[in-house]
Amino acid sequence: MARRCLLLTARLVCMLLVSETLYGDETVPTAKRELPPAANVDVDFARDIEPILKRRCIRCHGAKKAEAGLRLDHRSLALDGGDRGPAIVPGKSADSLLVLAAVGLAVEDLIMPPTGRQLTKDQIGLLRAWIDRGAQWPGSDVTAVERLESDHWAFRAPVRPAVPIVERPAWVRNPVDAFVLAQLESEDWQPSADADRTTLIRRLSLDLLGLPPSPEEIDAFVADPHPEAYEKLVDRLLSSPHFGERWGRHWLDLARYADSNGYEDDRFRPDAWRYRDWVVDAFNNDRPYDDFTVEQVGGDLLPGAAYAQRVATGFHRMVPTNEAGNTSNVEEYRIKTAKDRTNTTATVWLGLTAGCAECHSHKYDPLSQREYYQLFAFFNTAVDASVKAPRLAKKYWLAYERAKRNFKGHVNNTPEPPSTKALTITNNPEPPESFVHVRGDFLQKGRRVEPKAPKFLPELKPRRADAPDRLDLGLWIASPKSPLTARVAVNRFWQHLFGRALVRTPEDFGTKGKPPTHPKLIDWLAVEFMESGWQRKSILRTIVLSATYRQSSRLTDETFERDPENLKLSRQNRLRVEAEIIRDVALAASGRFHPGLGGPSVQPPLPAGLAERKELKDERFREEDSGVDRYRRGLYTNVQRTFPYPAMMAFDTADANVSCTRRDRSTTPLQALTLLNERAFFECAQELGRRVAAHPGTRDERLVRAWRWCLGRVPNDEEIDVLSVLLEKHRALYRDRPEEASRMAGTAPLLGGLTAMKTAPWVGVARTLLNLEEFITRE
Amino acid sequence: MDPALEHYHLSRRRFLTSSASGLGAAALGSLLSSDGLLANAAQAPHFAPRAKRAIFLYLAGGTSQVELFDPKPKLIQHTGEPIPESFLKNEKRLSFIELDKSKLMGSRLGFRRYGQCGMEMSEFLPNIGKHADDIALIRSMYTSEFDHGPGEMFFSTGEETPGRPSAGAWISYGLGTENQDLPSYVVLITGRSPVARMVNWGSGFLPTQNAGVLFRSTGEPLLNLANPPGVSREVQRLELDAMRELNRRRVDAIGDRRINDRIQAYELAFRMQMAGPELIDLSTEDPKTLEAYGVHRTGNEQGSFSTNCLLARRMVERGVRFVSVVQRRWDHHGNVTSGIKTNTAIVDQPIGALLHDLKERGLLEDTLVVWGTEFGRTPISQNSDPGPTAGRDHHRFAFSVWMAGGGVKGGQVVGSTDEFGWHAVENRASVHDFHATMLHLFGLDHLKLTYRFKGLDFRLTDQHGEVIHKVLA
Repeated sequence: MARRCLLLTARLVCMLLVSETLYGDETVPTAKRELPPAANVDVDFARDIEPILKRRCIRCHGAKKAEAGLRLDHRSLALDGGDRGPAIVPGKSADSLLVLAAVGLAVEDLIMPPTGRQLTKDQIGLLRAWIDRGAQWPGSDVTAVERLESDHWAFRAPVRPAVPIVERPAWVRNPVDAFVLAQLESEDWQPSADADRTTLIRRLSLDLLGLPPSPEEIDAFVADPHPEAYEKLVDRLLSSPHFGERWGRHWLDLARYADSNGYEDDRFRPDAWRYRDWVVDAFNNDRPYDDFTVEQVGGDLLPGAAYAQRVATGFHRMVPTNEAGNTSNVEEYRIKTAKDRTNTTATVWLGLTAGCAECHSHKYDPLSQREYYQLFAFFNTAVDASVKAPRLAKKYWLAYERAKRNFKGHVNNTPEPPSTKALTITNNPEPPESFVHVRGDFLQKGRRVEPKAPKFLPELKPRRADAPDRLDLGLWIASPKSPLTARVAVNRFWQHLFGRALVRTPEDFGTKGKPPTHPKLIDWLAVEFMESGWQRKSILRTIVLSATYRQSSRLTDETFERDPENLKLSRQNRLRVEAEIIRDVALAASGRFHPGLGGPSVQPPLPAGLAERKELKDERFREEDSGVDRYRRGLYTNVQRTFPYPAMMAFDTADANVSCTRRDRSTTPLQALTLLNERAFFECAQELGRRVAAHPGTRDERLVRAWRWCLGRVPNDEEIDVLSVLLEKHRALYRDRPEEASRMAGTAPLLGGLTAMKTAPWVGVARTLLNLEEFITRE
Repeated sequence: MDPALEHYHLSRRRFLTSSASGLGAAALGSLLSSDGLLANAAQAPHFAPRAKRAIFLYLAGGTSQVELFDPKPKLIQHTGEPIPESFLKNEKRLSFIELDKSKLMGSRLGFRRYGQCGMEMSEFLPNIGKHADDIALIRSMYTSEFDHGPGEMFFSTGEETPGRPSAGAWISYGLGTENQDLPSYVVLITGRSPVARMVNWGSGFLPTQNAGVLFRSTGEPLLNLANPPGVSREVQRLELDAMRELNRRRVDAIGDRRINDRIQAYELAFRMQMAGPELIDLSTEDPKTLEAYGVHRTGNEQGSFSTNCLLARRMVERGVRFVSVVQRRWDHHGNVTSGIKTNTAIVDQPIGALLHDLKERGLLEDTLVVWGTEFGRTPISQNSDPGPTAGRDHHRFAFSVWMAGGGVKGGQVVGSTDEFGWHAVENRASVHDFHATMLHLFGLDHLKLTYRFKGLDFRLTDQHGEVIHKVLA
């Protein structure tokens, strides 16, 4: 009888837990693996059981490690069990994993404890007797462990800290500065002075819009006597539609946005831009971050979800998709996609490296493998769904088409605006069950799991207790109770405005992430952000109005030696602008920039010889657009996942295969070759050269003009000297080389009745300006 | 990268370049790559390296070990018989195979013994065979992937999905570059690009200057290497001088010494504009060398593959750390017999010439040459009876690769497969083991070459990998 029971148990365990059976029906368990009988004595938990658990189990299965998601330090947790199932079934010691694992009967190659002596027959007998008699566990407070309290700073809700008292209150413009200054003062150190107004307007324009200010805008700001001139400028920039383009692109990095599908075929994905436009609009309309979050995570499940709320779920459709897969791995890729969504959501909103728990419980954070799959279960039920997108307004479309053709001729017919769809997700009406995947392998199904939030974070209370769904997850993430959501968001805002975040690992707020350089500041910002209604523009405004942000980025040997990484924020940072913005500033300086907002992505000029090459997988990526579409912002350039636009690649654009939380800022010779020689940039140089050649004024006035179109500030005499010498050398050189001059001046009509010979030297000057370090740097 | 760290880094570099041998000690590909990076810096071997550079022949599509490297008399004997059930145990993921239509199928092409060691390889690899005594042939490779995209990525990066750095990028990152005028990792492609394209030579989360730079073997070798129309080298120089002057003034005005990085990047780009065309200019090569490689052969892909092999030698000669020579036409789902004949006719002569050439120039002893492929091919026919037109499906349980040169013990076969060649059985070698071995030859411990990204210390070999010690000399 005992033997039969054992076999049944073993089989049951195997069915429940692992795909490979331990032994078949005929196999007789070896003597070594016999289950010792239960002890026939009185068992006292404190005397007989607790010492075994404490000495042999808790080190791995306690609050600190919870290997395999299992904790044996509280009754409720042991009953709940880990990735492999309940550890203790009261009354049934032969069904209890705790006992089976001790004998090596639970799973192949698994004997607990894995090191040191095995438990003796007597000890196992005691455990059996204890379990068979109900596993009494005096003193175990069941409710206290329902939630896991972590003492890691980021897992505890932020509380608005008191604004510190500082010795130099005059420097403080708002609370941000008090936190920064207090830290500086504690080290007997001081902040830098404000940057000059010319630097400030260029900094603000590049940071908020990604576009340089015109010389006229600069002059007006510099001369503005209004006491709140700076505030007025900030408000003007925040209300510009280019703000959404600039900040939307930051979000698209996180969303792994691309205009292609990825993997082998990497075909054009014609409808992706609908999501891109949704993001840009959300930034421009200052959609509160909590709504912005809920809609992207589970907008399709909102009652009566409108088009915009469905498009928001396009966030989850930005995953790479493999069209070339064989039928045998459809399920494999479906699972991969759900895991990608799980990992990306956790990284983007919670700053958690959840993906680490895919194969085993997280090594550093209190996230068990089972909890990972409970998160995964929210996404495992999603299926792709496309919704019909509204046609572009005909009026808008015609204007757009007309502008597009203007360069080539007239619009003969009146084309209908194209009708497209938007990529969204919804829930599968026949949702698949979710399991723990043993060692991350989807074919090895472990214990079944339901959607649930990790224990170390606040409780997730679903709208319907029995059926938590993605919308519940979105609401939970966006709840003011979340210790992570607001901190992770404000940290990124800081990152984009200073080049470095307060938590320098924006993707990892866990115990292995970097601690914040200014712990109180990040909490103050997080609370301020939530309490002001999650308004991004408002919190950005607060930051850019601070004296901290307005500091000069000038470096001295002393400041550098003392704080090379500028951790104390005693100055601003000089930053090379991102790949897309390099394109934008070049277009703007040339005068060719087209400010059109939204719509399908475009294909600007490709480097010579590239269009025939096989990296460009889809016909669409090989066709250069004409007319204004040649001159649109970098944001609108087609992103082919496996081969992004080469100029963007050279400048460290985001890898759209995965969520990108921070970009590199490398300095390479390929970048030099790109800015010097690439067709699109050379076209900008030609355009700028033609423009300045035809500009009224003396030679030096024109040099100043070109300089200011590129760099904003007024050049000093030495700088103008360098340029005028260059110009004269070019003039001398091209005088005898009319053919080279005409190639240099380009094929576009020359301005002001100038000859190629007169224009070419100015193209050389323009090319020099567009290649200056300062040109691609925000100071 | 963190801007402030970049800055910090720069001051260190300035110290190095001003106190040591000046720019000569620095490098190209990127300024940063020669110095290594910050907290994540590697740039020094863990122990004495045996290989200093690699030529990675990436024959993508899945080269057939059955025809090329792993003779199976018993398979030939049983050709036409149904698939033994033992093959299918535990196998849940086959690619295109329908089991009832497929049969055991031995090679229709012969094998020959090569070298003093008597290594058995295809009779269609006579030129490679000449170097059998320098080759360690690993017959016991296996992989987890059975589709090209994931398979290639796994073989190149140790992970079947995009996002990880390629082996070449790891090595470039680990050791830097030895050449000032060329990137540290160069890629040459004959014919079609591999399926996973730049993931195969990408830098993943490593600094971008470690990524393979795709060179073209004709015309302009690098994108944007030539000046735009109307810009002579003289004009280019004039403008670079003006830029340098203005950039220097900015250093003085704003105190940011990182600007010097930009100045140097431009100078190096200018040198690359010279070095690049010189590199692909084969007119200085001995006509006998061109002939040996078969550069002027006119068959489909023949001239291109020959040229790429020769360019690979020119690159390693000039200190490029890692060269991938890629050709993707080995996916023989049908007509495997004629396909192998055609392809060996493309690759055998130039690879043989390359090994010979490297040896003659004394380069082979510290240049690692690898024959790599993402997986093997089934010892069974694919959905047809065996015959001259039959093909083979992707096979992940057993395939062959080889290594030669740089610290490799030649003249030996490592590992074996079962009698039908279905499973690798003896000295089984995973892709991670293969990577661990490659790194080891470069003096890099695969457990120690790590990079912190998203909170984890990543390795080329993930959580796996053991050096295949038999391969080492």
